[in-house]
Amino acid sequence: MAIYGMAIDLAKCMGCRGCMLACKMENGTPAGHFFMYTFRFTEGTYPNSKLRFLPRPCMHCESPPCVSACKQDARIKWKDGRVMTDVDKCTGDRSCEKACPYGVNYFNIDDPAKNQYLDWNNTNAALSGMYPHWHPNLVKKYTWAADPKTKDRRVAGAGYRKNTVGKCTFCAHRIENGVKETACMQTCPAGAIIFGDLSDSNSAVSKAIAAAKTKFKLQASSGTKPRVTYLNGTEPASAAKLIEIAPVKKGIQSKGDAKLGGGTIPWK
Amino acid sequence: MGDFDRRGFMKISGAGLGGLLVMETLGCSDDTDPPVGSDGGTDGSTPDMGVDKGPTTDGPAGEGILADGTTPDAFVTPDDMFKGWPTAFTATTIPTTCWIGKQDCGMLATVLTQTIKGKKVSRIAALNGNPANPRNNGALCPKGQAQLQAIYDFNRIKWPLQRTNAKGQPGTFKKVSWAVALAALQAQIASAKAKKKKILWQKGRSKAKSFYDKAFVDAMNAAGYSTVKIGHGTYCSDSGYRAAEYTLGYHGVISPDLAHTQYIFSWGWGMTTSGGNKFCWLTWPQKYVKARARSTNPLKKVVALDPNRRGTGPHAEEWYANRPGSDVAFFLGIANYLVNNTKTGFASGLVDETYLNNHSNAPFLVADDGKILMASGKEQVWDKTTNGAKAYDASGVVPVLSPGAKTIGGKTYKTAYDRFKDHVKTNTPSWADTQCGIPAGTVKKIAAELFDAAKIGSFITIDGKKLPYRPVSMMAYHVSQQETGFQAMRIAMMVYQLLGAIDVPGGIQVDFAAKELYKNWPKLNSVTPATSNLDFTLKGSKFFPINSACPSFFHKVQLNPAKYDVDTSSIPTMAILHMVDPTVAFTDSKVIQAGYKKFEYVAAIQPWLSETADFYADLILPAATLEKFEGPISCKTADESATTLRVPPVDPLWESKGEIDIYLDIAEKGGFLAGYIGQINKQLKLTTFALSTSKKPTSKQIFDAWAKQQGLTGGISFFTANGAKGVTPTSTHTAAKKYSGAQNYHGARHRFYGESLLTYQNAMKKAGVSAVYYQDYTAFPTWRPPTMWGSTSKGYNLHLLSHKKVEFKQSRASFVPVLAEIAPKQELIMNPKTATTLGLKEGTAVWVESHHALTNETRKVKTTVTLSEGLRPDTVSMSHHYGLTSHPSATGQGPSPNNLFYGDEGYIQCTNDASFHVMVKVTKA
Repeated sequence: MAIYGMAIDLAKCMGCRGCMLACKMENGTPAGHFFMYTFRFTEGTYPNSKLRFLPRPCMHCESPPCVSACKQDARIKWKDGRVMTDVDKCTGDRSCEKACPYGVNYFNIDDPAKNQYLDWNNTNAALSGMYPHWHPNLVKKYTWAADPKTKDRRVAGAGYRKNTVGKCTFCAHRIENGVKETACMQTCPAGAIIFGDLSDSNSAVSKAIAAAKTKFKLQASSGTKPRVTYLNGTEPASAAKLIEIAPVKKGIQSKGDAKLGGGTIPWK
Repeated sequence: MGDFDRRGFMKISGAGLGGLLVMETLGCSDDTDPPVGSDGGTDGSTPDMGVDKGPTTDGPAGEGILADGTTPDAFVTPDDMFKGWPTAFTATTIPTTCWIGKQDCGMLATVLTQTIKGKKVSRIAALNGNPANPRNNGALCPKGQAQLQAIYDFNRIKWPLQRTNAKGQPGTFKKVSWAVALAALQAQIASAKAKKKKILWQKGRSKAKSFYDKAFVDAMNAAGYSTVKIGHGTYCSDSGYRAAEYTLGYHGVISPDLAHTQYIFSWGWGMTTSGGNKFCWLTWPQKYVKARARSTNPLKKVVALDPNRRGTGPHAEEWYANRPGSDVAFFLGIANYLVNNTKTGFASGLVDETYLNNHSNAPFLVADDGKILMASGKEQVWDKTTNGAKAYDASGVVPVLSPGAKTIGGKTYKTAYDRFKDHVKTNTPSWADTQCGIPAGTVKKIAAELFDAAKIGSFITIDGKKLPYRPVSMMAYHVSQQETGFQAMRIAMMVYQLLGAIDVPGGIQVDFAAKELYKNWPKLNSVTPATSNLDFTLKGSKFFPINSACPSFFHKVQLNPAKYDVDTSSIPTMAILHMVDPTVAFTDSKVIQAGYKKFEYVAAIQPWLSETADFYADLILPAATLEKFEGPISCKTADESATTLRVPPVDPLWESKGEIDIYLDIAEKGGFLAGYIGQINKQLKLTTFALSTSKKPTSKQIFDAWAKQQGLTGGISFFTANGAKGVTPTSTHTAAKKYSGAQNYHGARHRFYGESLLTYQNAMKKAGVSAVYYQDYTAFPTWRPPTMWGSTSKGYNLHLLSHKKVEFKQSRASFVPVLAEIAPKQELIMNPKTATTLGLKEGTAVWVESHHALTNETRKVKTTVTLSEGLRPDTVSMSHHYGLTSHPSATGQGPSPNNLFYGDEGYIQCTNDASFHVMVKVTKA
């Protein structure tokens, strides 16, 4: 049985954010949502400062706290290791977001179809040439035969419905349709992102992890057991200074502030 | 249809097409949410980095809902997701190429065909990199990915527009038909022809050069029009090109041979942001990663010289931040170390005598007046065997590189190399430290490392060919655009000449597998500076004997021709803009704007409303983006060659057209269609499949003929078929091809000594021009403090640099919403120490005020501060790419630094190239 995971080689990463854009375009994520986020940051002080990059998808944890926190059977663990959100079951209570230590969940406070610069539901606009770039495979229901729990699950894409949570799916719609690489991996100019079967010692991802000089996992002490491994670099220092921030939109600071009780910022 | 303003035409453009749209549905009215990342920046927040920062103090997100007791909005049913969109589709894969960047990366477009409301619709649903294209090997950068959105941007220009208000202000336009638009343009060019007035054809990023620069302009002129073209390169790296063409004879700047190098000196290279020699970005990082992973003799070290660490990011083992504008001093210090140290086998200095003696003019004898000793039309060297002067190519001659002073015919001669040793005598590493702020010990260390890495005297055998092996290299490109850039590039190249690392395995390369010397090799060496009745570009003139024709300086001339002895009849009175936005994209926006006001007529060919068109165009012709035929496109890299085309995955949207079709229309209307087609036949070398000159072809038909001419029997279907690779088979350069220069440099003696530069200086002095023009025309690069440093005495103590962002490189694309999402706004990067001194913090709004050291003019813009430890404390930096105002999605992103730079005397380079340096002061706004 394949167990999917990812390795990210920090010695190769150019910090170009091609992965962020490939993810956005592939999954049709709404404005301000980045299922893959590449951090750019400095450490230390001039002239001995360092400038580094860190791409960060969902960790697809082996022990995902978001799955146990979700009481709606919406956040589920596919047997091949992927952690998915079933948009048909998600009620938007955001318990997954609360439980996740990585900040990779994005709550659709707005209608995601309208939060795309174009109104994706407006077929009249499309018929006049203003097409959305979504792919029908993103909203199909998928079943993984080996696991009855996965029958008819709508787990791909960005959960295109208001009041649901979206996050990286390891490009479920690709995997389920036979494409064995994620969009971020495919576009990465440096070959820094390697997705594949961790259970196969001959897979590219397993080989890359085995050959790495150094490796780490984000917040290894949290017990989440991420299936994303960083190679040939070190975990960012807590004093790292982010630069060139791409602002995220989780709804907290948007027009829904009052509704949400004052705009708390849970990741600080 | 009546008049409407800029936003209005976009509004109506939607309604007019579908007949059903209202502004709100498009999300571009003033009262809808702004897109995140443009003026909606306050909507966003800093993302969680996912690293353990200890316990959080704020409550989790979910609690807000629960505590508030608010019930979420009722769900839409699953079936309502993408309501109206069917899930049934058929997919095709069409190979095409990127359009927004410089290097035309290969793409595979996924086109879905669906039936919506009874209408069959084909749309592009994905753009992925094409693995068959050696330029990008299946990868894409953010710009490439974002084009999917750019194609369907609802604020594209959808049909021809004619201006209805006075110029010099945001435009109002009316929709006109193509027939009306073409007739209007024809009337203007016919009038210019009748009145013998010149037409300026100004282009931005060059694509399909053979159709535009060559065929169109030449065909116009053959038909009696007087059309002149100017490009954009002086804002990119043109002075580097001029330095390489003059010094080494090749067309390019400096790149490392990443297949073999072990040491790269990264001089201002934006490895993680902005490409390098000839490419906008992606190819070099791919080759760099491969070089690090090479199993034999991998790339071991990258040393960066750059006031800003951002360009090399984590990829340089060492980073040294020099004072902006001091680069000439740094390299003089390196050269001083190399020529003044010796060791066993290197009696004349730590240099490659074999290369210098056999392939450069370093052993040529030079008199005190700077003239090279000639006899019977041949340059003379000091011959070891006869202990006398002899022609450099005489049989049996053994040149001595450093023989000391020799008296010949009563005059004192020294070799150019010995003259250079004298020249740099005082430019010690300690002296260099005083100018560039790099400690003498570091300068010496780098010089010693360069020498060690060069492995002078070693050889490598590749493809059975034994070649000199010098695995020490450099990347330098945009860094050329500084006041003394031409000579800075010269001295950098001369350092690599000293090491013998020119166009050999592991060394520096300029062009890729050059077949011959570039046409400028003789031309730049034989200018007779014109002194009166000068052409408006000042090419070959007493002001700029070597001249890249900076557009901003053209506008200076346009505004005051008498000052420059320019023949007023040479000054164009109308302009056709081809994919270019000069008033924002180029330095010295102020003078360019003033110049554009003077044009009697301006037509712009572009897909979006540029600021230049908004304020100054009379007519706008809507160009397609990547949904058009264009080419042929080279996929050449340093190591491989192939050819591809830009293929429209879907038809041009709305009423836009590909530029080739637009030029065919203009030619037809202007009565020079046959000439234009003839030029196309010539440029594309169409013989067997030559196009008939009596019938207007479509661009598709042209490329079909071209493909057949290439031996592709299926014609254009080789490129356009569903699932086709779209790229001709890749050929890897053999050593004989790749290092063709290393064998004899195509017969050139590289100009270590620039005798003609001195000749130009003397001619310029004689013609009475001021020192500001001739001061850098010196035979050897000579240090002088840049003009801008004079501003420090007036309280302008910070050097302003500009930098490029990988998200926008080679484009003005900040209006593309998904790109703006990841790079939302202009910021002034500042070292925290400097900010503390000035009382500024992250996010503080500030005025950045520049100062002209010669005229005391000041200019200022408002932006916000962001802090970085990756920048020299005496330096601040702003990004290019911003400052757009006419596209709604770009509103509020902040200003362009081009408003702060100066493009006139003191700041312009000796080659009429732009500089991106100026001194500023920063104050709280």
